[in-house]
Amino acid sequence: MSFKLTETTIDPRALCDAVRSPSAGGFASFEGWVRNHHQGRDVASLEYEAFPALAEKEGNRILEKICADHDILTAQCQHRVGHLEIGEIAIAIAVSAAHRDAAFAACRAIIDQIKFTVPIWKKEHYTDGTSIWVKCHNCATHGH
Amino acid sequence: MSQHIYGLLLVGGKSSRMGTDKSEMVFRDGLSQRERGLKLLESVCDQVFTSVAEGEGENIIPDAFGNIGPLGAIASAQKHSPDAAWFVLACDLPLLEAEHLETLKAAHQPEHSATYFSSASDGLPEPLCSIWSSSSALAVTAAIISEKRCPRSVLKNIKNGQALPTPGLWPLANTNTEADAMEIRARIDNTITEKTITLSYFAQLRELTGTASESHTTSSVTPAGVFEEMRAKYQIPLKRKGMMVAVNGDFTDWSHPLAEGEELVFIPPVAGG
Repeated sequence: MSFKLTETTIDPRALCDAVRSPSAGGFASFEGWVRNHHQGRDVASLEYEAFPALAEKEGNRILEKICADHDILTAQCQHRVGHLEIGEIAIAIAVSAAHRDAAFAACRAIIDQIKFTVPIWKKEHYTDGTSIWVKCHNCATHGH
Repeated sequence: MSQHIYGLLLVGGKSSRMGTDKSEMVFRDGLSQRERGLKLLESVCDQVFTSVAEGEGENIIPDAFGNIGPLGAIASAQKHSPDAAWFVLACDLPLLEAEHLETLKAAHQPEHSATYFSSASDGLPEPLCSIWSSSSALAVTAAIISEKRCPRSVLKNIKNGQALPTPGLWPLANTNTEADAMEIRARIDNTITEKTITLSYFAQLRELTGTASESHTTSSVTPAGVFEEMRAKYQIPLKRKGMMVAVNGDFTDWSHPLAEGEELVFIPPVAGG
């Protein structure tokens, strides 16, 4: 089980392989992609910046807590930092479990909690040349 | 003839963050905040009233506009005595001294619709220790009717308002949270000691402060106090509410007692994922 920040392209296949297990009957994954629009504005690219030590510590705590709460085997998560282009993977989560219900539920719970407490911030660069740090007080509940 | 100055002590707040009635808390001189506030107002006003959410009694002015906050209290007072200038004071400012009230009173002239201090942290008007002339009544009523009930905005936009320079961060510091109360008590009890800490900044705070890390010598006793200092220094347009804070690499409370050499990180609302 691990939560890692990375400055390079995420390989979701590698995450899938890392949770593979003979006792796994279900696998669920989530990928967050860089979208070309946000709240009506055209997005050109993104930048993620983390407080690295605490982001990884908190990310790992979330994985451990959710693994304990759900009947899953293991989970892996990677989050990008730095500059990202449209269509790139910003975050990938992979979860394996004996049964599908636990895999789906845990995957969902992990992404929701990451959006809520992991110290990572997002700057959006718009096609009009402006950029802002997204004030996403409620990203977790709004489902952005 | 000069305008009478009446005092209006605001005690009707919900104290939701403290979880206890702020007006009954005792910080100084064995007086509750309500008693001390009245005493401060009496030193500069012809007559003193207490604004309450509901109730009646001698020198009590109940909110006539429902529970809409300080602006409703001010409008209720102006309705009570339309010709007076109202010296409005929140009860939860333990470090405020009579001299600060005297400064406002001395500067206030009948041609000013309002006189107020500027905030140390963002330069905006501080409505909770301010004088409102009868000529401010129209703006107050208009704001209530249009449901723009922020007294700070009313002062910012009012014609012939007078802004005085800030008296500093602490005189107008309130006791909204446990951390605020700790900072204030440390100053009252004179138990503050200087310590040097490290501040690290990420993302928008790194850009706003222009640095990733700095050493900072402070007399604050909690991360909340340090944040208020930095907010004033860098004009950071963020409030503590909704933010988190980390000390030595992990989350902690805003009321964490700071120690020499600790590393602080302020964490604005996160946006990962």
